Amino acid sequence: MAVGDLAFLIPVLPALAFVLTFFFGKKLPTGGAIIPIAAIATSFVISLLITLNLLANPEEVVSQSYSWFAMLNIGILVDPLAAVMLTMVTFVSLLIHIYSTGYMSHDKAPSRYFAETALFTASMLGLILSDNILQLFVCWELVGVCSYLLIGFWFEKPSAATAAKKAFLTTRIGDVMFLTGIIVLFSDLFKIFNGNVPDGVYILRFDEIFAHIPDLAAMNANILGMEVSHITLITLLFFGGAVGKSGQFPLHVWLPDAMEGPTTVSALIHAATMVTAGVYLVARTFPMFIAAPDSLMVVAYVGAFTALFAGTMGIVMNDLKRVLAYSTISQLGYMMLGLGVGAAVGSEAVGIALFHLINHAFFKALLFLCAGSVIHAVGTHDMRQLGGVAKVMPVTAVTMIVASLALTGIGIPGTSIGTSGFFSKDAIIESAYLMGETTGSWIPYILAIAAALLTSIYIFRLVFMTFYGKPRTDYGGHESPASMTIPLSILALLALVFGGLTSKIFNTFVSETFVNNFVNMNIHELATLGGYHLAEHAGEEPMLVLWLPLIMALAGLVITFLIYGLRIVNMDSLVSRNNPIYKLLYNRYYQNAIFTNFISVKVIYEGFAFAGRAVDRGFDWTVKWFSDLAIESGESLRQFQTGAVQNYATAVITGVSLLVILIKVVMEVLQ
Amino acid sequence: MIPIALYLAVSAIIFSIGLYGLMTQRSGIRILMCVELMLNAANLNLVAFSSYHHDLTGQVFALFSIALAACEAAIGFAILMALYRLKDTISLDHINILRW
Repeated sequence: MAVGDLAFLIPVLPALAFVLTFFFGKKLPTGGAIIPIAAIATSFVISLLITLNLLANPEEVVSQSYSWFAMLNIGILVDPLAAVMLTMVTFVSLLIHIYSTGYMSHDKAPSRYFAETALFTASMLGLILSDNILQLFVCWELVGVCSYLLIGFWFEKPSAATAAKKAFLTTRIGDVMFLTGIIVLFSDLFKIFNGNVPDGVYILRFDEIFAHIPDLAAMNANILGMEVSHITLITLLFFGGAVGKSGQFPLHVWLPDAMEGPTTVSALIHAATMVTAGVYLVARTFPMFIAAPDSLMVVAYVGAFTALFAGTMGIVMNDLKRVLAYSTISQLGYMMLGLGVGAAVGSEAVGIALFHLINHAFFKALLFLCAGSVIHAVGTHDMRQLGGVAKVMPVTAVTMIVASLALTGIGIPGTSIGTSGFFSKDAIIESAYLMGETTGSWIPYILAIAAALLTSIYIFRLVFMTFYGKPRTDYGGHESPASMTIPLSILALLALVFGGLTSKIFNTFVSETFVNNFVNMNIHELATLGGYHLAEHAGEEPMLVLWLPLIMALAGLVITFLIYGLRIVNMDSLVSRNNPIYKLLYNRYYQNAIFTNFISVKVIYEGFAFAGRAVDRGFDWTVKWFSDLAIESGESLRQFQTGAVQNYATAVITGVSLLVILIKVVMEVLQ
Repeated sequence: MIPIALYLAVSAIIFSIGLYGLMTQRSGIRILMCVELMLNAANLNLVAFSSYHHDLTGQVFALFSIALAACEAAIGFAILMALYRLKDTISLDHINILRW
């Protein structure tokens, strides 16, 4: 029996663990953590075996489809792209679950925590395994719900409940775009089939979609006077979904607030896995993006801008986790940029972006877990109250520094020596350079280089402020238990060497996805559909381009060391509320004021309140008008009842007289 | 012999006077008096026709009518007496508790 036949167990086991932990976790020690750990460990082994099998035999893609109803199906697809994601998600999730047994040991409801994380892991794995876009969307929404539940895990805290709501509603904007894209895609494909879809053809399966890319590219829509091909429209809508999920500008606002949840949740969902679902979506539908160069350009520009934009906010935050949140947004921007450069380098872009995604998952999960370790021991998020933590928590400090080096990408260009971030991030920056060279769009490259400097500054500022120097308050910490330090050490090892070990094979492996297996398509032909040609790999970039990211990283290290380490440079005048730039950054470009306080509260909430009041008033007025009519007519009619007998007598006499006259007249007429 | 038209004319005049008083007067006594006038106008008619047709039935009827009018007047005045004790007035303007 081939290991691929077990692929369906990968999401099913954690789902089962969710049910068991949810109902029986309370009765078990540590909230039943052992159930999801065992389930995810099994999933990890299966994923790893499938990946190794795929590495050896790239043609053995696991693809199973079952009819759901009509022309839709449910199924699983494990190609190289899905395989690496599965392995990464199960592995990181496993480590974080182990770490959580220590981190959540003092919590009131650990069984609820473990049930929800197990459900999240199951949904995320389901998302990765999906072989059709609809199933992917269902899982996409499921991870959104889990994210909501886990951000609001401490729901009795108002800030956590608000953050959960904000995350859910903000990503909803993207999700609506994604769903619109699916609907447009479905109706287009239905049209292409003229409504006669043969049995056994499931039109939302990825291979079916990709097979019809030329037809989709031929369809044109007129939007605001611009001729846009349907493929561009659909890909942009998909990217809209990715923007929401992966925290790209302008929908990134939920991610920093999502730090209200437990730190392990931030590590699992908001650093390593869920937020990369957007990147995965773009990577998964990459052949469509290749045929829509305008969309790819949008991806590249949004990604590069987000990378820089989030970096600028990262350097002023004082909250340990918020710095990391902005770092995550920034790195997700890099991944999007990596996909966007596909306009120049073709399917290699998927390899580059995925490589950074995996490396980022390791070192960012590590950063969060280190932060969690510090918070667990010290009990505060605020870096201004820390300092000198390295003395009491040596393991945490060392792993944190390793993660920071991986994030900034320290390594020697041209060799295989370097931290994992060095290989993936530099690859993205170099591809951006290549794109500038071939298409003339230099802006993404410049933004990416600037973001590299900021990355180095914010992360080393965090390291210096937290671990270096003397304690600024009396916090009294201790090193975390082994259940926490062992996962830290494993992740640190991976953050250090994973990139170097796999940089050669990773790219070819993932790029296989679209070229040889399963889809069998020619990327160059697709590019021609989009009306452009891919650059043949230029090969040699100038020496400066190779060294520039490293120079930026080291410059950032030196700057922060001067400011926060040696305290030679006095920053007091710059870091004050009087400095307009600092104020702008510290207030996060007033996004909260604009998005939440203005658009959400003022425009939408009060708008609805106003409309509701107007409608209410309308109904009130109508109802009151009828009642007034009845009351007033009664009021005036009852005046007839004078109570004076004379009037009644008069009325009687008048009536009788009229009756007599009437009878007389009638008799006259009748005769 | 006086023609019947004159009787009828007198009767009609008396009836009209009673009717006018009924509609315009405020005092309960006057209204009762006006009602009496109207009844008597009717009695006059009965007697006039009785004499005209040489038939005594009309005069008998008139006697009944007078007896009934006496009863009516007795009850009416009794009510007015009771009202006067209750309200210190018999002006019908003030006896209007059934009005709006």
